[in-house]
Amino acid sequence: MGESRDTLLSLAGVDLVHGDRVVLPGLHLDLRRDERVALLGPSGAGKSTLLGVLRRRLGDSAAWCPQQHGLVPQLAVYHNVYMGRLAEHSALANLWNLVRPLPGPWRQVAELCDALGLEGLMRRPVGQLSGGQRQRVAIARALYQQRELFLGDEPVASVDPHQALRLLALIEARHATSVIALHQRELALSHFDRVWGLRDGRLVIDAPARELTLADLDGLYPDADGQTGEARSRGRP
Amino acid sequence: MTLADHRTPAPRPGWLAGQSTGVRLARHTLTLVALAVVLVPFADLAVLTRDPWAELARMAKGLAWPAWGAMESPLEALGLTVAVALWGTLGGIVLGFPLALLFARSRLIRAGCAFVRAIHELFWALLFLQVFGLSAATALMALAIPYAGIFAKVFAEILEQIPGAPRDALPPGVSRLSRFVYAELPLAWTRLAAYTRYRFECALRASVLLGFVGLPTLGFQLETAFREGRYHEAGALLWLFYLLIASLPWWGHRRLMPLLVLGGAFLLGPWPAVDGGLLWRFVSQDIWPPALLEGDWRGLIDWLARIPDLAPAIGNTLLLGLLGSVGALLVALALWPLACRHFGNPVTRLVGRGLLLFLRSTPELMLAFFFLLLLGPSLLPAWLALALHNGALIAFLVARHADAITPGMPGVNAPGRLAYELLPRLYPGMLALLYYRAEVILRETAILGMLGVATLGYYIDANFEYLLFDVAFFLLLVTAALNIAVDALSRRLRPRETAIIDDPCQR
Repeated sequence: MGESRDTLLSLAGVDLVHGDRVVLPGLHLDLRRDERVALLGPSGAGKSTLLGVLRRRLGDSAAWCPQQHGLVPQLAVYHNVYMGRLAEHSALANLWNLVRPLPGPWRQVAELCDALGLEGLMRRPVGQLSGGQRQRVAIARALYQQRELFLGDEPVASVDPHQALRLLALIEARHATSVIALHQRELALSHFDRVWGLRDGRLVIDAPARELTLADLDGLYPDADGQTGEARSRGRP
Repeated sequence: MTLADHRTPAPRPGWLAGQSTGVRLARHTLTLVALAVVLVPFADLAVLTRDPWAELARMAKGLAWPAWGAMESPLEALGLTVAVALWGTLGGIVLGFPLALLFARSRLIRAGCAFVRAIHELFWALLFLQVFGLSAATALMALAIPYAGIFAKVFAEILEQIPGAPRDALPPGVSRLSRFVYAELPLAWTRLAAYTRYRFECALRASVLLGFVGLPTLGFQLETAFREGRYHEAGALLWLFYLLIASLPWWGHRRLMPLLVLGGAFLLGPWPAVDGGLLWRFVSQDIWPPALLEGDWRGLIDWLARIPDLAPAIGNTLLLGLLGSVGALLVALALWPLACRHFGNPVTRLVGRGLLLFLRSTPELMLAFFFLLLLGPSLLPAWLALALHNGALIAFLVARHADAITPGMPGVNAPGRLAYELLPRLYPGMLALLYYRAEVILRETAILGMLGVATLGYYIDANFEYLLFDVAFFLLLVTAALNIAVDALSRRLRPRETAIIDDPCQR
């Protein structure tokens, strides 16, 4: 394991709760600088809870792309992206920005939108966009935050495989460190340094991606138990 | 044990036994109806006019042949009616919106809003009449103050129900104002606007009613014409009012609003010269019992002893509230299928919708006034008016909701469709709506007193007339307390089943 690299955050025997239920008891993990982590596991395994805890602990250093996007359908694409840095402007500037976009942010958001294939949509209300377009707006908002680290809860869940690759590349180009929850196991192996796998309230996989196979990852999903039962024994106990 | 023992079916349930939603609500309803039936003998329901039918015929003739030429400056009254409604609503928003933002956090604000809501627009008008005279200031304050309380509550509810995801997605450290205008207001905007529109419609009705206390809106001419038996003129004025309500979607368009607001401002004048000293005297002295101001406790007890016995008035108010609510439920149950696409043919539906529109657009006070002329002064005209107006309103909303339902079993006959497909889905919402309306019904009960029905409102009106402001104000406080208590009670009794018709615009 790369102990030489410095650790950004370390959880040692922490109970993660969702509401008043302990979802992940006694969790141990380390998040290291310049490491891209794919977070896998069946739905309900606690991925969002874990990301929520990381987001709280990392505070201002993490850009955040939530699962339901958290977009405001009535506002234009530009304003939704701008919301990523709402805290950096005064309330008055934010109000004026609703009346007429501020020149600096408008330019920066336009650049991002071009990169994400949203050109020409900046003034369209998000409610009128397709699912894939909304997903890209959510990613644009997270990128616009310009933070050291990227936290994403299934940011490429509702786009086609080619686009997913392109979006991950964009995120990668701007963030050396990231934790991204995924469904696509292949992407986890090909585009990430490390895989965290959750199942039944435990972190059953915490290993470098190059040491893992698809069969190992299949073990995370209960429906695949029949074929690859032995794969579950791998990884950290 | 033989096989036959196993086959014995579970015992057949008794009458309305069981814990399913439908049966529980049926028991709930029957209890309510039974209570009303038991209490009916205590209500004075006598018909006092000798020949109601001849009077009714004359009124119908007036409505059928309106005398358009007999109206005196109807356009001016119409303009003032609209201007008062518009500016009253605006005032309510300006006062109520900031309160809505603090509503969830401050018990004091919630209590204050409950208090101003509990007093009907007409009573506020009577109160301000003493200070501002027969002027637009009285009319505007009479609308703006109770509406501020209503807006605060409803806007707070709407803002509470917006999805939280956009708010949670914001980066840390965003200021309260920025969070509000980006992640809260846009999400609530459509519902806020819809509710404001609905409240404006209520304000139009209330603005007409202000004529009953002497302000020169449409209601003033309407009341005079009715009271003096000039039914053809009254008919013309009523038609004018229905036209105003029916054409609201056209003249009340969003783009025309700024023009109407500015134009309305010119119609509201002349403004009264307010004497600050007089105003202060009214607020600090006139409305309080003199003994209380002097700290004379024995005198205060004497003062209280001199107030006429309120028990019958409170009893009548509560009784009329209960009878009105139960009546509204029965009317709604009987009328909603008439306007619903699942029953009848296009002709019956058109007639049904027309009837519901007519009944719910006519202000209750107007209906009560009409029945009063017909049946004489007892609780009966007030009961009929409350039941018909509120029943038609609920029926309209239920029918609209039923239209959106697609029955799962096609080809069932009409009674089957009603009993098995629609009513089970609609009834919980309908009952919830009735409990919301109960507060409104009680508030209206009190103002029907102004027509001579012996409720609390009758004594309030009388004491204002005798310039006994301290007694009138005390009675207003009693009325408000009663309304708040009944509202709290109805919130407790309201069935907790999923209220499918849960839109504040419908309350």
